[in-house]
Amino acid sequence: MTSRTLLVGPFNRVEGDLEVRLTVEEGRVVAAHVNSPLFRGFEMMLLGKDPRDALTITPRICGICSISQSAAAALALADAAGVTPAPQGALAAAILHGVENLSDHVTHFHLFFMPDFARPAYAGRPWHAQAVARFTAMEGSAARAMTSARAELLHIVGLLGGKWPHTLAIQPGGVTRAPTVRDKIRMATTLRSFRSFLEASLFGGALEDFAALPSLDALMGWSSGDAGLFLRIAADLDLLGLGPGPGRYLSSGGYPTASGTAFARGIWTEGTTAPLDSSAITEDLSHAWMLGPSRHPAQGVTAPDEDMAAPAYSWCKAPRLSGRTMETGALARQVVDGHPLALDLAARSSVLARVAARLLEIARTQILLEQWVAALDSAQPFMAEAPLCDGEGAGLVEAARGTLGHWVRIERGRIAAYQIVAPTTWNFSPRDAGGVPGPVEAALVGAPVGEGEVAPLAVQHIVRSFDPCMVCTVH
Amino acid sequence: MPPIETFYEVMRKQGITRRSFMKYCSLTASALGLGPSFVPQIAHAMETKPRTPVVWVSGLECTCCSESFIRGAHPLAKDVVLSMISLDYNHTLMAAAGHHAEAALEETLEKYKGNYILAVEGNPPLNEDGMFCIIGGRPFLDQLKRAAEGAKAVIAWGACASYGCVQAAKPNPTRATPIHEVITDKPIIRVPGCPPIAEVMTGVITYMLTFDRLPELDRQGRPAMFYGQRIHDKCYRRAHFDAGQFVESWDDENARKGYCLYKMGCKGPTTYNACSTIGWNDGTSFPIQSGHGCIGCSEDGFWDQGSFYNRVTDLTQFGVEANADQIGLAATGVVGAGVAIHAAISALKAAQNRAALREEA
Repeated sequence: MTSRTLLVGPFNRVEGDLEVRLTVEEGRVVAAHVNSPLFRGFEMMLLGKDPRDALTITPRICGICSISQSAAAALALADAAGVTPAPQGALAAAILHGVENLSDHVTHFHLFFMPDFARPAYAGRPWHAQAVARFTAMEGSAARAMTSARAELLHIVGLLGGKWPHTLAIQPGGVTRAPTVRDKIRMATTLRSFRSFLEASLFGGALEDFAALPSLDALMGWSSGDAGLFLRIAADLDLLGLGPGPGRYLSSGGYPTASGTAFARGIWTEGTTAPLDSSAITEDLSHAWMLGPSRHPAQGVTAPDEDMAAPAYSWCKAPRLSGRTMETGALARQVVDGHPLALDLAARSSVLARVAARLLEIARTQILLEQWVAALDSAQPFMAEAPLCDGEGAGLVEAARGTLGHWVRIERGRIAAYQIVAPTTWNFSPRDAGGVPGPVEAALVGAPVGEGEVAPLAVQHIVRSFDPCMVCTVH
Repeated sequence: MPPIETFYEVMRKQGITRRSFMKYCSLTASALGLGPSFVPQIAHAMETKPRTPVVWVSGLECTCCSESFIRGAHPLAKDVVLSMISLDYNHTLMAAAGHHAEAALEETLEKYKGNYILAVEGNPPLNEDGMFCIIGGRPFLDQLKRAAEGAKAVIAWGACASYGCVQAAKPNPTRATPIHEVITDKPIIRVPGCPPIAEVMTGVITYMLTFDRLPELDRQGRPAMFYGQRIHDKCYRRAHFDAGQFVESWDDENARKGYCLYKMGCKGPTTYNACSTIGWNDGTSFPIQSGHGCIGCSEDGFWDQGSFYNRVTDLTQFGVEANADQIGLAATGVVGAGVAIHAAISALKAAQNRAALREEA
């Protein structure tokens, strides 16, 4: 039996730098090692700083999910101070965050994921000509329509947050800007126009209809729009059988407002949902170029191993919940929330399931955003008093790619500890002390590798189906 | 080598109409502070000159510069510039993957040797022989130096490439280093900001193309047309500053009235950038408009000046007096001489930073 090693990377059309080492036997991947080759050390820089500086510094971990980082930092500081944000402030923060997540999802679909199907390797497939016309990297008509629609959607962030990326408006007590009635109307108009883009181009039908799909069978019958094109491709290439995840899902619910989180918070394992016990989270460092024992993030430290000693092979830590790997992201959120389509996909975690769940979430998020904007009330306060005091706090939010947690400890008015566990840290984690591979590493096992393929397409589909954000992973 | 096509040809191929093209030329002329008479000149250059190849590399960064560019800009500007850069090398967007991508870069560097503009997003970390940022199995530093060899000019996008940015915040764990410290033999245009404004980015590239020279730079190497004035000079809340009307706490009555954010830590009085004139997200807004002060993200060292919410009085090297009224007075007198004074101050600051570095070493 011949075994060969393939190094796939640098990966493009993912956010940040990523390398995957594959061991291939008889045309299949038998082992995968995921390496995040970029390290910046944000957790180390935050030490000793004014706690509020986390609101400016942590968003700069990532230029794509900066609002997620900012929301998590604000939540952690609010938690440390024992503050509940003003209800309208929380609503405005949810709008800011929802717009970013929505924009990330459509970006992933149009610019990162779908262009792979326009590759010449798929010439001859019945859908190939359409994929080329719609999704060729940077030229496809769908990609162009999306970038225009998205730039317009981000006007909402402009209105509420001053600028995107690296928005500053979200604070522990709420947001800095109370939107006026005029802003509210402008946002509603912007959302209306984004809805028409989604309905005309992406779904080819009403969002409500897509959001109401009850099962996998019903989903596969959706034939219109680019969603329909994707589903035809998925059926033809059996993307339902590609890239199985661990089948365990983690979600913090996302968008906390006065009425709770927008989606249910919890975990889903072996067919049942259970509450999320965040104290069961640990970060294992056995295969990361990091020094120290495995700890809960509240006690965690970041001490890079400058010798980069084996067996470590990544800057990424390995988060585990009760010692087990968890998948996080749109699929996890929708499964934990109990959406019937997602539940039908839950046991069949795959490239198809992940992308379909993202489409489902695009529809649901757009609908939520419309409701939130309608519920804005300019007369109410948008910021609660949030005095700075010593203490410990945690902030868990849902970024587009999954659960993002910030843990902070404040002593004598300064940051004494700061740890961040990003969604891609969960999904793209290296092995742990027990040798258990991270979710993506496990998902890649069994992927077909064609004769002479140096960057196997199946591997690219699987990796991109998780929508990695490597700059967040190793901050 | 076949002749390089013009930008206009490229744009037309990408489906941009003649009308949109002309509109882009006039938008750019106004963003550059040029009169309408320059519109035909810009159009003519884009129609007749071979396009300038742009190679875009990313080091230690967060992609916010690319994203500002792609998501934030006026759709027209974004289309035009995407068509300028897409043909060559851009990590986030290009079609090729893996070592193919690296091969594509190498090919581009050879093919356009001496002719291309190198655009750098992010910066190289120097600690541990650059191993904190590895691209294609090699430190980013190597890729950067290799790409700079044949460049006719280098654009430093954003605060990372220009100054280091937050990843260089103390203790700067990876020794993230601005690119001028590693590329010393090429003209470098700094376009700072975290990220820079999309229209500023497109404006700089278009200017270089149209006039075939670098835009006029200030002492810090920034295009003077965009970084010649402080946020404060053109801030729509300036009248409240001069009148001594300030926001005292978040979302208070004064905040609703749109009073000045100076007391909330706004760095507008000491920050040179075009936010208050060009605006963000297609001119929708800018941070002060969202009720949050400016953090000064286009200034060297903005990440290590004490809290972002401290009043600028803490920045004693700016010679700023203790209270707002005095600042108001001082500022009015200073506007004209602002650039020169600022440059001198920054040079001083740079010297201080170097001293700090030596102490740490």
